[in-house]
Amino acid sequence: MNVLITGVSKGLGLTIALTFLKDGHFVFGLSRSRTKTIDTLLEEYPNKFFWTSYDLQNYKMVKSKIFKEFIGNKPIHSFVNNAAIAYDDLITNLSDEALISMYNVNVFTPMIIVKYVIRNMLLHGTHGSIIHISSISAHTGYKGLAMYASTKGALEAFSKNTAREWGEKGIRSNCIVAGFMETEMSSALSNEQRYRIYQRTSLKKPVDVNSVAETVKFIANENSNSITGQNIFVDNGTI
Amino acid sequence: MDDKILQIINTVLTNRGKKTLEVFNRDLRLRDDIGFDSLDLAELTVRIEAEYGIDIFEDGIVNTVGEILKKIK
Repeated sequence: MNVLITGVSKGLGLTIALTFLKDGHFVFGLSRSRTKTIDTLLEEYPNKFFWTSYDLQNYKMVKSKIFKEFIGNKPIHSFVNNAAIAYDDLITNLSDEALISMYNVNVFTPMIIVKYVIRNMLLHGTHGSIIHISSISAHTGYKGLAMYASTKGALEAFSKNTAREWGEKGIRSNCIVAGFMETEMSSALSNEQRYRIYQRTSLKKPVDVNSVAETVKFIANENSNSITGQNIFVDNGTI
Repeated sequence: MDDKILQIINTVLTNRGKKTLEVFNRDLRLRDDIGFDSLDLAELTVRIEAEYGIDIFEDGIVNTVGEILKKIK
């Protein structure tokens, strides 16, 4: 299986990439910068891991840079829309620039990638799987996350409609609704904020990144071929 | 070129379990005569672009086989 994953240099994206690589799949990874981790992956999985630098702020070069230069004529079986910016602030402090920048990365460029992923799947007759990483914040409000949560709500609506529009061609689309994990994205939270967030889950702890990655892998592969248009919660039972 | 386009049209029809074309002329309408729906037209666009590098629907609607041939020539 060839899997296209955004944001592979760290956090959840890196764990997802490793989960696929360890199972022998081919990973086409995107991230802004070439980090040490990327070099290690390229060394450890020379014929399985492919990488190119792409800044998701740029929605203009999706076709030429990602699909023509990087992927070429290879079939994509699964796309994992993982990369995201978490811009948090009170709505009263909302900065238009930060908001637009976050929507470019979290929503607009991923939607354009989906356009070309579906085109790739049509050309190769692939019954592919599109997976968006959503967030529990879109379902349970958190102070300061209104703008970020709204990008995830947009993705969930887009995913549901993708599933409806392309189901007839065997193309599936689902969202994995992740709870709070101990990744760089949540590193700005204070210990007290963290504690309060974890108290709002049934399991009273951070969500295991591996559990999210394994769920992504399940939804990507054929074993989940009857699941589409769903939001799958991997959130420690948030209450 | 006509043969290649006929082949692409028939691939799209086959993929949807529809009857393929035997006769082919430039006046055939994609929806009314060939029986393509919007999903078929999307696949047709993708297959023509892979062959000729041109997105036939990028700047407007294409209704007939002749109009496709005009765009890719």
